[in-house]
Amino acid sequence: MNKIKMFFSSLLKKDATKTVITSLWCALIGLILGFIILLFINAKEAAYGMTSVLGNYLIFTNPQDRLNYFGQTLAKTAPLIAMSLSILVSYKAGLFNLGASGQYSIAVIVISFLGIGLNWPWWIVMILAMISASVFAMISGALKAYFNVNEVISGIMLNWIALYLTNGILSNSTNVWDSAHSETYTISNSSNAFIPSIGLDKVFAGNAIVGLGMVLILIVVAIIFILFKKTTIGYELKATGLNGDAADYAGINKIKNIFIATGISGALAGLAAVLSLQNGFTAWKLVSTPPEIGFQGISSAFLGGLHPIGVIFSSYFIVHITEGGSMITDLGFSPEVASIMTSVIIYLSGFVVFVKEVMHKHEIKNELNKLTREKENKV
Amino acid sequence: MKEVYAIEMLGITKKFGNILANDHIDIRLKKGHILALCGENGAGKSTIMSILFGLIEPDEGVIKKEGKVVNITNPNDATRLNIGMVHQHFKLVDTFTVLQNIILGDETLKEFSDNPNFFKKTFNYLNKHLFKIVDYKKAREEVNKIINQYDLQVDLDQKIEDISVETQQKVEIIKMLYRQNDILIFDEPTAVLTEQEIQDFLQVLRNLKKEGKSIIFISHKLNEVFDVSDEITVIRKGQYIDTLKTSETTKEDISALMVGRKVNESAIKAQIQPEEEVLRVEHLTMLDPISKKKVVNDISFNVRKGEIVTLAGIDGNGQQEVIYGITGIKKIQSGNITLGGKDISTLSIREKIKSGISHIPEDRHKHGLVLDYSIYENSVLDRYYENQFSKYLFLNDKSIKQYGDALIEKYDVRSSGDGHTIVRGLSGGNQQKIIIGREIERNQDLLIAVQPTRGLDIGAIEGIHNLLLKQRENRKAILLVSLELDQVLELSDRILVMYEGEIVGELLPQEVSKEKLGLYMSGAKKDKVNAIKENKHE
Repeated sequence: MNKIKMFFSSLLKKDATKTVITSLWCALIGLILGFIILLFINAKEAAYGMTSVLGNYLIFTNPQDRLNYFGQTLAKTAPLIAMSLSILVSYKAGLFNLGASGQYSIAVIVISFLGIGLNWPWWIVMILAMISASVFAMISGALKAYFNVNEVISGIMLNWIALYLTNGILSNSTNVWDSAHSETYTISNSSNAFIPSIGLDKVFAGNAIVGLGMVLILIVVAIIFILFKKTTIGYELKATGLNGDAADYAGINKIKNIFIATGISGALAGLAAVLSLQNGFTAWKLVSTPPEIGFQGISSAFLGGLHPIGVIFSSYFIVHITEGGSMITDLGFSPEVASIMTSVIIYLSGFVVFVKEVMHKHEIKNELNKLTREKENKV
Repeated sequence: MKEVYAIEMLGITKKFGNILANDHIDIRLKKGHILALCGENGAGKSTIMSILFGLIEPDEGVIKKEGKVVNITNPNDATRLNIGMVHQHFKLVDTFTVLQNIILGDETLKEFSDNPNFFKKTFNYLNKHLFKIVDYKKAREEVNKIINQYDLQVDLDQKIEDISVETQQKVEIIKMLYRQNDILIFDEPTAVLTEQEIQDFLQVLRNLKKEGKSIIFISHKLNEVFDVSDEITVIRKGQYIDTLKTSETTKEDISALMVGRKVNESAIKAQIQPEEEVLRVEHLTMLDPISKKKVVNDISFNVRKGEIVTLAGIDGNGQQEVIYGITGIKKIQSGNITLGGKDISTLSIREKIKSGISHIPEDRHKHGLVLDYSIYENSVLDRYYENQFSKYLFLNDKSIKQYGDALIEKYDVRSSGDGHTIVRGLSGGNQQKIIIGREIERNQDLLIAVQPTRGLDIGAIEGIHNLLLKQRENRKAILLVSLELDQVLELSDRILVMYEGEIVGELLPQEVSKEKLGLYMSGAKKDKVNAIKENKHE
């Protein structure tokens, strides 16, 4: 019995455990606040609304429907994981990739032209989309490296440039633009550009959007994990991120590392576009704000404790409640309510750092009390 | 009758994370006395003074002023109780004049005091609460009175950025006096001063004491402490050790109390004939990137195997830039740097390191270590790319661990765990040991050490001096930058004094006194110097 207790208390002291606990706390606080918002808007239906947000696909009684929507949630999780990794890589190297939305948009142009327009094989489209997003991200990197322009500011500006570029180019290209719905055509599952289902569609009740993408994203997670854990590139990136001056002194080439970090980060943002478009699920709509996924990636990266494996779970959580949230419109809540609520949850989830601080203070206080008590006992 | 204390701090306890910075410390300052607070770096001196000044709230303990318990939770409380503090880094607004800085936050406002009528009263009220028009004339009178009373000569109309560090310190003192503080705290006030300036400063302290002020004086320079203090309180590792009357104790006793054991004052230097040249710097000139002023102006010197050449001088006279130039961290404007006969002036930092420079930077937190990396990761910070430690972009964890363990063992790096421990949690001395070990183990011909003992305690300083001398015996060329005269005199074979970017004196430690060195450092004495020494045997 004591042994188990010891095991748990030593586990609790570990930094990783602390991060997991804080993330769980943040998610919980976000959910409670979300519930309070529902109570204000429609107290009667609030409880039911909350169940559907939390339940998502579980509220379906038919197991086939459940599987289908579970598959859909998973398929939507994959791009968010890629986006979280994009934020994570840049953050570890001491940069903050707020331009991920823009890089995503640029990848969308490439996917639309090569995938929808020219019907090229999916993997070529994927690679080219990632490369172009990566190059676009390096604009921010170059500005930072050579002119010391803050990457957050250049990232935000490039977001808008990319957005209008994408809107302008796609809506004027007749072979990719479905003017009836004012969005691009979706990639059908008979197209060459469609990511193969490798039989996973049968597992998820014929939902073809689940496919090789799932496997791909797990491989990418593993690559990023190994990159930071085992390679000299990761070692250099982290050293630059943690203490750029010391890295300089040690002869680590800062400029090279800025390009590597923004390049990888951009490629991952491009991969997010690949995973949400090339499974035929979404299309590019004529929108006036940069894609939301770029910002959700930030929350997800922090909620996941800035750990490549952590972001798998945080991304799933965020997609799960967003999907659940989209269902409460059926209960008489307006669609805005759902998005307000889910955004509250998501953005509160980003408070991980803050909550960690509070927990840490509490811990010190406890220990001090213990110390004083021990001293008093001795006296 | 019971003694009246100006300030008593009883049982003060403060914890940061897992570190007990202050563990039930008692400090008693008698009225009109000077109390020196001594302890090694990290002993908790600054913490307890920050508590007294209200910058940090203690977890436990009572503060009494003149026998009455007081509650100090922020600096405003401290000011109200007439407690003033001069911080190690001055809190002055660079672009304001001296007078503006002195009255800042406690301005004398315009006020009609003669035969008050309704309008004057209204104006007085509005000015006090709304307009806040400052009465510079009256403020100047008040400040001048203080200047004359305490003999603190400063020009009130100069801007802070244009006056010397010594004068800035005077401004800080006048600031406290203007606020009618009677308890004055000085946190390492002499760290930034030259020998002569220190003497002047100690005279100021004596004047203040004569006027009835009570003073707490933090220092680990025992000469000054014994010169000026009445009592000495020693703390060690956050623990209260003892309080002694200065007249009844000796420097040896105090330093033993500070360290917890006896300390050998000076290391023994072996006789070594310098051998061939390793580093040669010719006509090096460097510009400030913004103001384009020459921060290093046409200097030449060399360093040979088996000698320690020291760049001495007051902080900010170009010594740091010379090192930046040699190591490639900043661009040089003109001149040549040759290492072992090879011109390295234009190489990148990495290439310079590879061609044979080991570098112990001044600021270990900012430049020497990645604090959130483990001991292992830091031990290969400037050589992880070598074949020994990585292959095809993959780090060889096993050999890094082996190497790190050897380093920990050899340089006695102490931490709470093994080599996976994050460096941030280590003490300054142990952090420095990692850097020094890492750089010495690279076994290069040239070792550059910038302030290698900055902020370390006496015990650690001793060890580092011995390591540097050992390298000298191993016939390495050592270029040292130091602000501490004792260290300069103890270690150097040749002393090059820098003043405003130029080498103004080349001196031999056995032939020069501290006072003379001080004259060179303050620019009062200048020689024409070509500090390149050739070996005569050819």
